[in-house]
Amino acid sequence: MTTYTICVFTENSIGLLNKITIVFTRRRVNIESLTVSETERKGISRFTIVIKEESREKVEKMVRQIRKIVEVLAVFGYLNDEIAFNEIALFKVPTPAGAKRLDIETINKIYKAWVVYWGLDYVVIEKTGSEEDIFDFFNYIKPHGILEFVRSGRVAVSKSAKSLGDYLPEAEWEYYL
Amino acid sequence: MERNEANILTLDGMEPEVRIETNALMNGSHAVIRSLIAEGVDTIFGYPGGAIMPVYDAIYDYQDQISHILVRHEQGAGHAAEGFARLSGKVGVCLVTSGPGATNLVTAVADAIIDSTPLVCVVGQVSKHLLGTDAFQETDVIGVTMPITKWNYQITSADEVPEIMAKAFYIAKSGRPGPVLIDITKNAQTEMMSKPFNYTFCHKLLGYHPRLIPKVDQIQKAADVINQAKKPFLVFGHGIKIAGAEKELLELIEKTGIPCASTLLGLSSVPVNHPLYAGWLGMHGNYSTNRLTNECDVLIGIGLRFDDRVTGDVTRYAKQAKVVHIEIDPAEIDKVVKAEAPVVGDAKEALKMLIPLLNVSAHDEWIAQFKALDAEEEACITVPELAPTTEKIKMAEVIRMLSDKTKGEAVIVADVGQHQMVTARYYEFKRNNSFITSGGLGTMGYALPAAFGAKVGDPSREVVAIIGDGCFQMTLQELGTIAQSGLPVKAIILNNNFLGMVRQWQQLFFEKRYSFVELQNPDFITIAKGFGIAGHTCAHRDNLSDSLDAMLSSDKPYLLEVLVEKEENVFPMVPSGACVSEIRLK
Ligand SMILES: Cc1ncc(C[n+]2csc(CCOP(=O)(O)OP(=O)(O)O)c2C)c(N)n1
Repeated sequence: MTTYTICVFTENSIGLLNKITIVFTRRRVNIESLTVSETERKGISRFTIVIKEESREKVEKMVRQIRKIVEVLAVFGYLNDEIAFNEIALFKVPTPAGAKRLDIETINKIYKAWVVYWGLDYVVIEKTGSEEDIFDFFNYIKPHGILEFVRSGRVAVSKSAKSLGDYLPEAEWEYYL
Repeated sequence: MERNEANILTLDGMEPEVRIETNALMNGSHAVIRSLIAEGVDTIFGYPGGAIMPVYDAIYDYQDQISHILVRHEQGAGHAAEGFARLSGKVGVCLVTSGPGATNLVTAVADAIIDSTPLVCVVGQVSKHLLGTDAFQETDVIGVTMPITKWNYQITSADEVPEIMAKAFYIAKSGRPGPVLIDITKNAQTEMMSKPFNYTFCHKLLGYHPRLIPKVDQIQKAADVINQAKKPFLVFGHGIKIAGAEKELLELIEKTGIPCASTLLGLSSVPVNHPLYAGWLGMHGNYSTNRLTNECDVLIGIGLRFDDRVTGDVTRYAKQAKVVHIEIDPAEIDKVVKAEAPVVGDAKEALKMLIPLLNVSAHDEWIAQFKALDAEEEACITVPELAPTTEKIKMAEVIRMLSDKTKGEAVIVADVGQHQMVTARYYEFKRNNSFITSGGLGTMGYALPAAFGAKVGDPSREVVAIIGDGCFQMTLQELGTIAQSGLPVKAIILNNNFLGMVRQWQQLFFEKRYSFVELQNPDFITIAKGFGIAGHTCAHRDNLSDSLDAMLSSDKPYLLEVLVEKEENVFPMVPSGACVSEIRLK
C-alpha cells in the first residue's frame, strides 16, 4: 500500500465535503485522515485527504473525478516525498499524587513535545511531527497511562516552488497575506 | 419589451456580461419563471404540490410565453424532459414538488447524468426554518441527488434566484451536459426580492472550465498515430450527436477510408448504408465490429466512454491496438481503456482540427474482412430473422418493416430489453439524431415519456416509441399526458408476455430456470382506449403491413400492439465476462 495525499482546493460552499467524499466511497476507498481549512485566499478552502491505495491509476482516476465537481478549483495528488507534512497530536496523561513524575526535560528536548495545559491531576501534551514521531512519543509516554489521545490528520504543502496562484484562475481575490 | 430582449440575448455565441435589466420587483417564484424565459425555455414538464405551489401560481401569469405540460408521474416529467433535450438540443426543464415529487424524479436524473443529457430540475422544498426538522414532505433532495447531478444547489432566499438559475443552465448545457437540480425553499418562492430582477447570463465559473478546443499537440499526436495505422477502426458514441459533429465524422472517414462503428447512443450519426459504416458495437452489436475490435492496430474512440456493455471483458479489449481517445470529459480518459493519444475537447472542434492533418487513404483489404464477417452474420441471423417461418411475428420483421415504411427517417425511441436491441439492429437509420434510448442506466419505462418529450421538442418529426410489454407497464400512465396534449406520438408494444431480456439470460446462463419473468398482461388496447387513444392489436404476419400503415397514417396518438414470438433470443451476443471477439452468433 502506498500513502497518497490529495489536496483539493475548493470554493467554500455547503455540502462540498459530501460531494468529495462520495468519490472515495463509490470506489470503496477508506479515508485515513481529512483536514479542511480556509487558505490564504478568502472563500477558498483546502482539503487535505490521506488515503492508502495500491493502484496509482485508481488514485489518478479519483483525482480526475474530484476535479469534475463544479466547486472544485484544483486537485493535486502527492506521494510522501513530494510534500512537507505534519500532524498534531494531543495526549492527556494522568499525574496523580505519588505517581512516577513526568520527565519534562526529556519530553521537551528529546521528543519536542510541550505541555499545553496543566490540570489538577493530569496534563495535556502537544506533539507535532510525522506519524512515526507521534507514535514514538506515544510509546514513550504509554507507561504513564494515556487518558485520551487524538491526532489531527495530516496537513501538507507541496515541495514545488509554485504558489497556489500558479494553479488557480486569477480573479479579484482577497488575500490574507 | 424585456421579454423580446431576452429572446434575442439567448442566441448562441452569447457575449460575456449579457444582462437583462428590469426595474420590476417580484417574488422568488416570478423570478424563477422570468429566469426560465430569459434562458429561452418554452416548455416545462411538471407536476404540482404543496412546496412548489407559489411557482405554479406564477406560471399562471406567463402561460402565453411558456407552456407547462402536466405529466402523470414525476418520473415521466424527467424522461419527457430528457427526450425533449435529446431531440431539440435544448435544456429540458422539470418542475416538481418536494419529498415524493422529488424522489419520483430521481430515476430520470440518474438516467440523465449517465447519458449526458442536459436538464434543469426545479424542485420545491419546505421553508428554510423547517429544514432538517422532518417537516411534512421534507426530503434531503440535495443529499439524495448529490452523486447523480452535475451540480445541485439549494436556494433559500429570493435574491439568489437569477444568479443560481443562470449558473444552472450554464452548467447543464456546457461541456459534457448533465442534469442540474435546484432545490428551492418555499420562503424563497414567496418572499420579495430586495432588488429589481436582473438576469446576467453565466458563461464562466471559477473552477469549471470545460475544454472545447483541444490542445494542438494532442491533435498532432493523434494524427500521427492514425496516419501510421494499417488497420484503423473508428468507434464513436453519443458525443458525436451532442457536439453536432456528424458532418465532420463523415468527412474524416471518407478522407481516410477508415471503417467506423457506433455505440448504442451514437446510432444514426452515420447513415447505415454508408460504405464505411460497419455497424454497431457491444453486447448485441454486430459480429464484424466486435470481432475486429480485437484485430485493428489503431482504435479511434470519439465521444464515448467505453462502457462495459461495449468492451466486454476489458482486460481482453483491443489490447493489440493503439488507442486514440477524443473525449470532452477528462475523467473518461484512461478510465476504462488506456489511451496512447488522448485528446480532450469537443468532438466537432477536435475533428475540425484533426481532419486536415490526416492522410488520404483507403483500406480495402481491411474492410473486406468486415464484409466477410458481415456475410456470416447475415446468413446466420439477419436473413432468418427477417424472413421467419415461425407462426408468430418476430420483433425483427416489425422493426425492419417500420424502417422501410418510414424510410429510415423517423425518430425512434426504444425502451429497455430485447426490443431495444432488436430496434438498434434492424432499424436502418438514414437521418441524423434519430435514435433515443436509455443507454447507460437501462431504465425500463423510459420510452413512452421520452418519445412524448421528443415530439414536443420537434413536432415536425415522426416519433415512434418501441416498447416491451414489461416496460410499458412502468410508465403507461403517461398515455394520459399524451392524450391531453393531442400530439401524434406513435407507440408500438412488442408483446412477448415475458420480461424477455431477463428470460433470455435465464435460458442461456441459468439453465432455463424461468424465475418470475412471465407476465400476465392487461388488454393494452382497452387501456389506451380508456385514455382516449386509438389503437389495435396485430397478431398475424399478414396484417403487419396494414397495421403499421394504420398507425403511421393517423394524425393522432396511436398505440399498436404486436403479438410476437414468446421465446426468441437476441443474437449476436457477447456473453457477460467474455471478450468482444468471443461474440456468439447463436
Ligand atoms: C427499472 C428496471 N427494472 C428492471 C430492469 C431489468 N430488466 C432489463 S430488461 C428487462 C425486461 C424487459 O422486458 P420487456 O419490457 O417485456 O421487454 P423485452 O425484453 O421482452 O423486449 C428487465 C426486467 C431494468 N432495466 N430497469
